[in-house]
Amino acid sequence: MNYLIPLMVIFPIFAALLINLFGKHNKTIKILSFIVAIILPLITLFASYGLHFFGGHKPLIDTNITGLPTYITSTNLYSMHPAITYSFTPLTKVFIFIMCIIVFLSVFSYLTSEKKASGSFLFLVFMGTAAVSAMILSDDLFNMYVFFEIAALVQTGIVIASKAEDNYETALKYMILGSIGGPMLLLGITILLAITGSVNITDIAIIISTVLIKSPISKAVVLFSFALILFGWLYASGFPPFHVIKSSLYSKSESYGSSILQAMSLLTLVAFLIAMARMFYLINIFNGAILIVSIIAMILGVSMAVMQTDFRRMIAYLSVGELGFVGLGFGLGTKFSMTAGLFQGINEMIVTALLFLGLGSVVYLTNTSNIRKLGGLISKSESMAIMVLLGGFAMAGVPPFNGFRSKFMIIHAALLAGYPEVAVIAILISIATFFVFVKALHGIYLKPQPNDLEFVHDSIPKSVIFSVAVLTIMCLILGLYPEIVTVPISQALGGLII
Amino acid sequence: MIEVILVIIVTLIASILTLLQEDLLKVAILSGISAVGIAVLFQILLAPDVALTQAIVGGAITPVFIALAIKKTQRMEGE
Amino acid sequence: MMISTQLLCLFAAGALIIIGLFAAIFIDNIIKKVVGLSFIEEGVNLFIICLTYKEGGIVPILAPGMNVNWFAQNAAYPLPQALVLTSIVIGASTLAVILALTMFLYKKYGSLSAHEILNNKYDMGDEE
Repeated sequence: MNYLIPLMVIFPIFAALLINLFGKHNKTIKILSFIVAIILPLITLFASYGLHFFGGHKPLIDTNITGLPTYITSTNLYSMHPAITYSFTPLTKVFIFIMCIIVFLSVFSYLTSEKKASGSFLFLVFMGTAAVSAMILSDDLFNMYVFFEIAALVQTGIVIASKAEDNYETALKYMILGSIGGPMLLLGITILLAITGSVNITDIAIIISTVLIKSPISKAVVLFSFALILFGWLYASGFPPFHVIKSSLYSKSESYGSSILQAMSLLTLVAFLIAMARMFYLINIFNGAILIVSIIAMILGVSMAVMQTDFRRMIAYLSVGELGFVGLGFGLGTKFSMTAGLFQGINEMIVTALLFLGLGSVVYLTNTSNIRKLGGLISKSESMAIMVLLGGFAMAGVPPFNGFRSKFMIIHAALLAGYPEVAVIAILISIATFFVFVKALHGIYLKPQPNDLEFVHDSIPKSVIFSVAVLTIMCLILGLYPEIVTVPISQALGGLII
Repeated sequence: MIEVILVIIVTLIASILTLLQEDLLKVAILSGISAVGIAVLFQILLAPDVALTQAIVGGAITPVFIALAIKKTQRMEGE
Repeated sequence: MMISTQLLCLFAAGALIIIGLFAAIFIDNIIKKVVGLSFIEEGVNLFIICLTYKEGGIVPILAPGMNVNWFAQNAAYPLPQALVLTSIVIGASTLAVILALTMFLYKKYGSLSAHEILNNKYDMGDEE
């Protein structure tokens, strides 16, 4: 059923507008958003793979129009995509499905733990889901840019809607940086449009690899546009130099918000990374640039995480460091390493959502996120403490969890590609992640409870425990049977990267 | 050709002067002038529909937004 | 070297982007920073429109009775023009959000200085 493909974007936008309309009726929006959050992953499951051309404008080669002149049939014009194209592959299916599951669990815990649901927050959540789904589905660079800007506005909005202190400052800073990053991305896209005459990624990839790469002048122009798109990508995904603002964005929103925010920036990262890999893989500095940025992100993320006393910021920095592994997979440049990188992306999304939701319960109980003021919370809920511990293991790469599988694959790929140094760095970063995590967990759960610790709520809502349990089980399943995800990813990659 | 050069010079000088003002209301007005200059350039470059949008958004709506923000905050820069 | 309209406008676009970047990075006042950001947007838009220009061409609107082949050979390229319309609206909405945040933060800090509002006190980890 191919018409379900655009529905993945249209349905959440429509639902978001509807929820915003009923903003004052608490019960209505609660029921409405719960239903929408259930339907979202189902759409992804039932849609069949294929391409969707908006307005039905297929490339001429796929239509039955005959008698066209030779100056059309013998050139690239014949296979050019005239419409905005959405392509739904096993790869996009996996990413959008997991994103929708995380949205469902976050919205579910939000609806049950807050007395009064905020219509604008739910509006932003569904709008963001639509934006990132469109970004990863779309085969059209300008379409990606539009949804990139919408995603940036939504992320700012989620931070503004939270009750954390200093959230407005963070939002303003993110917007100002975004107003530099967005136009730079647009400029890069425009330069590609100018030299290829199209904004479709497939067309651009064919033209660059057959024509433009051959002459040194046009290669320099392509390189320039690559640099500009890279800048926009760094901003959107929170790689250095934007790691500080991205991690403060995560820590200034509610736990439900941050688990969605990190999933959104991961999908943005993956969407643009795949697009860049398809267009620029023949440029010899592409792999090197991604590799260097990723290694810097890993090192900075973990080393900044060590210094934090606020555990939300600590998780935020750790997740930025984990994103480095995704880039690492693409930087190594083999098909195996890219599969490993994307697999790591999925694991990172699940594990970080688990940690934000699980440790969000600590904020729910005590209204503080400073590790020094906390302690002894294991007496409140043993099950939550154990699940958060398991999530930390999954993030650091302890068998049998999913993080171990993907990190092992990346290290293996690094050795196969002839970069033993990168493998050593990756192992060291994993150990450091483990160390940081154990320190935080000891401070929150095991250390004797301080006398002045006051509790706002007495117990954690059952729904949050349920959500975290589902995420833990997903970690375990992906750790035991990684083929569920890696096989579709490597199949789809074989078709995408020429 | 001469009118293109003239419009470009007006646009660029308006945008530089915008950044040199102490009075923020003048910033709003001068940014509107530079936006209208760009709208004229759009018209010269054979894009009349874009020129219309740019003239309305850049020449009227954006300066009004900025002026409203100044009304709610402060008018002079260094207070 | 012949100086064409297109080249002049490309130069103007580049100058606007550089002026905007300068304002966004070095000017302290947030309102002026925002104006600089809108200059970057406008510069990029102007750059896109420059690409569509055709020396001695016509506006890409097909009037009734026009020869289609002649029109296709002489009209400017309309796709980027459609993209710029979207881009202008995005720029305006981003600007509105930034100004709204600025107004809110002015109530808290009593100042429009980016240095006072956005200093990095919470980026160093520990506040106490």
